[in-house]
Amino acid sequence: MSLAGQMIAFTPAQLDEVRRLQALYPDPRAALLPVLQLAQEAFDFISPDVEQYVAGLFDLSPAHVHEVVTFYSLFFTKPVGRHVVSVCRTLSCHLLGAPDVVAYLKERLGIEAGATTKDGKVTFFTVECLCACEMAPMMQVNDRYEGHLTREKIDRILERLE
Amino acid sequence: MPRLTIDGKEIEVPAGANLIEAARRLGIEIPHYCYHPGLSIAGQCRLCMVELEKNPRPQIACNMVAMDGMVVHTQTPKVLETRKSIMEFHLINHPLDCPVCDQAGECWLQIYYMKHGLYDSRFVEEKVHKPKAVPLGPHVILDAERCILCSRCTRFCDEITKTGELGIFNRGDHSEVGLFPGKVLDNRYSGNVVDICPVGALTDRDFRFQVRVWYLDTQKSVCPGCSRGCNIEIHSNVRRPHHAQGRRVARLKPRYNPHVNDWWICDAGRYGFGSIDQGRITFPQLREGGLLREVTWREALALLIDRLRAYGPDEIGLLASPEMTNEELFLIRRLAETLGVKNLDFQVPPREPGDEDDFLLRADKNPNTRGAEAIGLWPADRGLDAWEMLEALRREQLKCLWVFHHDVTRCGWPEGAVLEALQAAQCLIYTGSNVNGMTERAHLVLPAATYAEKEGTFTNFEGRVQRIRKALPPLGDSRADWEILGECLEALNAGPKPNRPEEVFRALAHAVPAFAGLTYRDLGEYGLMLREVAHGASR
Repeated sequence: MSLAGQMIAFTPAQLDEVRRLQALYPDPRAALLPVLQLAQEAFDFISPDVEQYVAGLFDLSPAHVHEVVTFYSLFFTKPVGRHVVSVCRTLSCHLLGAPDVVAYLKERLGIEAGATTKDGKVTFFTVECLCACEMAPMMQVNDRYEGHLTREKIDRILERLE
Repeated sequence: MPRLTIDGKEIEVPAGANLIEAARRLGIEIPHYCYHPGLSIAGQCRLCMVELEKNPRPQIACNMVAMDGMVVHTQTPKVLETRKSIMEFHLINHPLDCPVCDQAGECWLQIYYMKHGLYDSRFVEEKVHKPKAVPLGPHVILDAERCILCSRCTRFCDEITKTGELGIFNRGDHSEVGLFPGKVLDNRYSGNVVDICPVGALTDRDFRFQVRVWYLDTQKSVCPGCSRGCNIEIHSNVRRPHHAQGRRVARLKPRYNPHVNDWWICDAGRYGFGSIDQGRITFPQLREGGLLREVTWREALALLIDRLRAYGPDEIGLLASPEMTNEELFLIRRLAETLGVKNLDFQVPPREPGDEDDFLLRADKNPNTRGAEAIGLWPADRGLDAWEMLEALRREQLKCLWVFHHDVTRCGWPEGAVLEALQAAQCLIYTGSNVNGMTERAHLVLPAATYAEKEGTFTNFEGRVQRIRKALPPLGDSRADWEILGECLEALNAGPKPNRPEEVFRALAHAVPAFAGLTYRDLGEYGLMLREVAHGASR
């Protein structure tokens, strides 16, 4: 975890991982996506400083890394909370109560979609289909899918978050 | 060399040429936005679709290398329909406000819509809006809504300047060209992105909204900003003088020359034209009682001849300039010979060393140093060089100095010593285009035309002789140096004055071995190299 103002640099172990990823492809640039994922894990979000650092690892212009980061919606370009909750609002989930899920999350967390709680614990987004219609209404909490959501289930999920 | 057929016409093209270049040789234009011969292939705009026999679907011509036996069609109903659809696609979110867009008249969306579009708009939704009038740097401004994302500008910054300031960010119809956060488009060649932008997305802060492009006249010339001699076009506005507060030169654009500058010029050259219209000396002046008085050319020339005759050859110095054309330098050499003056030079050290890089910029900021060397504007045997002339002035051994263009009060020499020397001169004659420290001190000031106002040739640092052409009439009463020198030589009974520089060039080619065999006609578009001669052997 990096703190504001801290130098942006991978640990030796992370750098080894970068080299391993780069060696997998004939053109090392192909490893840019997994390295950016690594960077997001290491630095929480991809700031221009992180883009500059990663560009240096690939001998690319920072603008080129910025192109890739802004192309994909799963890279955070601004700080997010310790936990990220993404609520699906596409058709199946919508019909089975996604608007209620969103309204209840707003109420519980006291924030609008896209914002982070004051204690820096949770950021919640509304997103398009996450390919899990069978468990609608659903949301993604960090790396886990949570489905068949009810108010009680949402309470239990939020209580589990550190 | 592959031989292929395009629209029923056979042609042989160099190996590796793509179909756009192959068709161009046949005079067939394949429309395109993203392809640029000086940049890598992007295949981004999809407009250059052509049909290839034995191929099920249209292909992009930019990324298709011409192969032996290929049969290409550029005008089939399928190709025409494809173009129309792609034009519609490019224009979906484009603002429909050509009347207020500065690119109008030289916009490839306008041109290709008229040639290949001409559909009725079916788009009834709200267009996507993007940032407008965003300054990217000191010279370039971005209107992201007008951009068609061809990526020419980003490729220019990646591949030519290798500065990488620009990128295409976000995705889908939200994609937009922009700067990496915190960066500024401030490299030495940034203006070129405006030239290669096919639409009104990137415009020149210096030029935009000054004058409509259809009022501009164009003339081929050569940039006088350094010894590279980049080929340029001078775009002048004389039809609507009230549109740009009397600024006659509206802009300079690079002109393709594969031997010199390809498609590019530096920003210093591009924006260095202010002195053509500002701070000019517009009439001959004579100093009387410390003050300059306007005189006629007749008076000025009579006085000039009188002075040149009044002093002995050893009392006169001629300081030519590498800003002058080959023709003019040759006439100065002839003048020195006519008068028997041996004190002759052309070089004055610059105040600061010029900046240089490994692309176009040269440290020598004069367009014709090589020409002056080849013609031999050096001191004749035991004559004085430029610095020695100043010293001789101070010692009052030299009485009369005729300086062309150099502002010796602002050069690499100590100012005090220079001013002392100029003060001591009995007769200081200055021929130049702009008001400067010399006009404050000269006894006789002769206004000279700028490079944009005359014909002639420059020799670049490699020895390439290239023509400059007259884009504008000389401002006010100013005259080209070759005319002034011609009048002077005629008055000194050294032959009739030339009617045009080409006559002088003919004499130059006859007299100076380095120029032997060259003619204006043969110089053509790209210029020709000097004949290899030993340094100074022409003298």
